[in-house]
Amino acid sequence: MIDQLKSRLNLKAVLRNLEVLPALDPVSAELISDWNISLRFSVWRDTQVVLDFHDGRCVFHSDSKESTSVNLFFSSPAHLNNMFENQASPLPLKGFTKLGFLKKEFSQLIGRLEYFLKPAAETVQDEAFKKVNLALSLNTAVFAIPELMKLDPVSRRIAPQFSAGSLQFSVDPDGPHAHIIFDGQSRAVAFPGPAVNPTAMTVFKNSEVAQALVAGTLDSFAAVATADIQLRGMIPLIDHSNVILDRLPLYLQ
Amino acid sequence: MNIYQYDKSKEWFQRAVKVIPCGVYGHFSPAPYAPVEAYPFFSDKAEGARFWDVDGNEFIDYMCAYGPMVLGYHHPEVEAAFQKQISISDANTVASPRMVELAEFLCEMIPVADWAFFARNGADVTNMAVMVARAATGRDKIIAIKGGYHGTSPWMQAPGHHGTIADDHDHLFRIPWNDLEALDRILAEHGSQIAAFMASPFHHPIFEDNALPADGYWQQVVDKMHENGSVVIVDDVRAGFRLHMGGSNEHYGFKPDMIAFSKAIANGHALSALVGTDDLKVDAAKVFHTGSFWYCAGSFAAALACLNILKAEDGPARMRMLGEKLTGGLRDLASSHGYTMIVSGEPALPYLRLADDETLMLQQAWCGECTRRGAFFTSHHNWFLSTAHTEDDIEKTLQIADEAFKAVKKQFGS
Repeated sequence: MIDQLKSRLNLKAVLRNLEVLPALDPVSAELISDWNISLRFSVWRDTQVVLDFHDGRCVFHSDSKESTSVNLFFSSPAHLNNMFENQASPLPLKGFTKLGFLKKEFSQLIGRLEYFLKPAAETVQDEAFKKVNLALSLNTAVFAIPELMKLDPVSRRIAPQFSAGSLQFSVDPDGPHAHIIFDGQSRAVAFPGPAVNPTAMTVFKNSEVAQALVAGTLDSFAAVATADIQLRGMIPLIDHSNVILDRLPLYLQ
Repeated sequence: MNIYQYDKSKEWFQRAVKVIPCGVYGHFSPAPYAPVEAYPFFSDKAEGARFWDVDGNEFIDYMCAYGPMVLGYHHPEVEAAFQKQISISDANTVASPRMVELAEFLCEMIPVADWAFFARNGADVTNMAVMVARAATGRDKIIAIKGGYHGTSPWMQAPGHHGTIADDHDHLFRIPWNDLEALDRILAEHGSQIAAFMASPFHHPIFEDNALPADGYWQQVVDKMHENGSVVIVDDVRAGFRLHMGGSNEHYGFKPDMIAFSKAIANGHALSALVGTDDLKVDAAKVFHTGSFWYCAGSFAAALACLNILKAEDGPARMRMLGEKLTGGLRDLASSHGYTMIVSGEPALPYLRLADDETLMLQQAWCGECTRRGAFFTSHHNWFLSTAHTEDDIEKTLQIADEAFKAVKKQFGS
């Protein structure tokens, strides 16, 4: 169960950030500018995702059946997780002629994702870096909620308590934003960007507050009381989501 | 109209959060206050239907300490009874005669009560009630209502939340309010394991409209549970003595087996009571449940004074009248500003919601604007009336609410 959830988080919460990375990082945008390729990552008897690169964009599809240029197969969730730890390679089932692309260009893109999400100690964290890091961290957290609701034992007990509605996370004044839509039947889907008419909102006063929360250096209770973090709307959606997000570090470091 | 600032409250919070988990925890926590900057966190003065925060801002208090204040803060007769008692004995090594007098009083006033058991807080007696039901039936499982609140013991908390474990909820079924078919299904599948049904007399969840019992709902619950050999417990901790002096069940015309009271019982002094029928008295005697401060006599004396005054003044009728005036006035006022105010629950402890915005953000903004002008309203929880509120208070509150509507209209439109 733990490997299964980790693999889904790696695919659907971490890798999915490739969908938004080019819009945030000019280097990534330049890398994919002329790509016209689709990659499938499939885990045997479990989940699969597709990254579709075209027209300088990356579109993420979850559990898509559509044909792709490259199929990368993983014999188990642990196999996929090991690849994310650079300790294993996928089994290519289709697209053998693209192996060079995978090793070079795609690896460079993954390198940009790692650069922002898992910065090395020597990385200079200037304002531009922090902005991308914050956006990707926020997305990862929000994208993780639906997967945790399905497979994390504690989150599964919380899932039925969500009423239908949408919860938006925002950093004032200029973003980033991400949101999640709950269907009121224990399921949810997450998206980057703001929601249309959110039912509930968690708004960080500025990027410093949000970064401190991500870094684990913020007293969130004090931050709520001082309005550095503002909660609005159907606060039970926020309460339940926060309990679920507290589970994330058990699976993703 | 003066708009309140809370600089000293913020200073106290900064001190608090260094030494107290959460700074201010539980139901006083700032977390559900939205926008949080509209609310004070600390007060050290309260009188009648008002409190003053540490910045000196004065509030007409519609939360009444979340229910315990029912006659007004510092009610002279209640305080005199309390002071008189503690001047002779409060904590002691043996029980106080005041406890016996209070039990006699409750058994006289409350039709269901053949005995009374005392503790300090609501959860003490909701837990006691469940233990008595289990002792009496030899069964494990409890039926409660989705969104119902009975305290913060692990079995009462939302599954999955911090500090709870999966096993805490193994013996609890939650069904929707007013849903007799759901009750039938549980009884059909697990009837031989069901010790009790526990619910508040009307459904008063947070963040959603409150709901009264449908016609005949409670009597059918009682009949079905008794036919099943199970016990009916009313958690009257929140509503008790605001709807009817004989227990809120009398207001709705049914008789449970046990009723849990707290909040309004002693006008702010720490006390809770479980009362029950004679059939359960021996089982209640067999359950061991106690606490260091459960015998402090001052609270018994305060409760005797409080309940005598409430009874003599017909407090529930006064609170109903005041609640109707307040909620009717607010509904009309909302309408005059182009909004629709939904009033639910009971007038003595109403829940109000502006229906023009399902997210509650409009409601939150309006409650915040009222609060920072001196009418303390929360947006997530039912409010409370007391007998200390006056028609002048309500008139002033409506003036405040009018200003608040104008303020939110600028932000949200109509």
